[in-house]
Amino acid sequence: MSLSDQQIEKLLKLVVSSQPDDLDCDGCFEHIAEFAEQELAAKEISEAMQVVQRHLNQCPCCQDELNALMEGLRELE
Amino acid sequence: MNREREIDPWINRLRSDGPERDAAIAELRGILVRGLSRSLTNRYGSPFHAEDVVQDALIRILDSLDSFEGRSRFTTWAMAIATRVGISALRRKHFQDVSLDAITPEDSMKIDLAVDPTETASHQIARQEIISKLNELIETSLTAKQKMAIRSVLEGLPVDEIARRSGTNRNAVYKLVHDARLKLKQGFEHSGIQPEDLIGSA
Repeated sequence: MSLSDQQIEKLLKLVVSSQPDDLDCDGCFEHIAEFAEQELAAKEISEAMQVVQRHLNQCPCCQDELNALMEGLRELE
Repeated sequence: MNREREIDPWINRLRSDGPERDAAIAELRGILVRGLSRSLTNRYGSPFHAEDVVQDALIRILDSLDSFEGRSRFTTWAMAIATRVGISALRRKHFQDVSLDAITPEDSMKIDLAVDPTETASHQIARQEIISKLNELIETSLTAKQKMAIRSVLEGLPVDEIARRSGTNRNAVYKLVHDARLKLKQGFEHSGIQPEDLIGSA
């Protein structure tokens, strides 16, 4: 099986955006509650949360969980 | 700081005994059911029973009280745990019929050097150079496990599902893929070839 053009582009984007100090999923999860609250408050993402944002840009799983978390929190507001 | 007073009631109540603890658990259960019912119903097209998920989540939350650091509201932290439990369950159900048999360690990630007749000659050459280097780096730098993990990610399989099927954990799969990405990136940097040139035109 060969990669499609879209898969090639997705792979290259992931390659180009990779940094040695990227957070892993566990590291992202440790900060996801704080990140969600900043997003919901429409605050500018703090510098400490930028690394969380970078992980979310690369990890659809964690991004999906953040989206669901924010939906759930909106229900509680 | 007000946050101290905001955190303490939940932690203290959940660590107490008897009726106070029971009431706190019942209140938290209600909050989580309400939140998850909104966020996870119709996700992945499956029916979702919030009460079952929340029961599992409550066990994890109560086991993890020591790890709550007060950087967010307690209920946000608890909802994050419950959301992860719920989404993981939905993903398992959704992907249980998706076979990875077609992706094996021997499966090549070789990329065809298809020529686009609308591309300029110089762009075709640049594209071939990037694709050739990518193929070379994949073959020489990545382990079989890394190739399979990356291939699964590119096929749309979530990392936690890849982890479940390979008997490991999500974080280990993420690190495997991330290490592979760094190897490819370093390979490109060493060669002087800029893969960015192909992004947006693949």
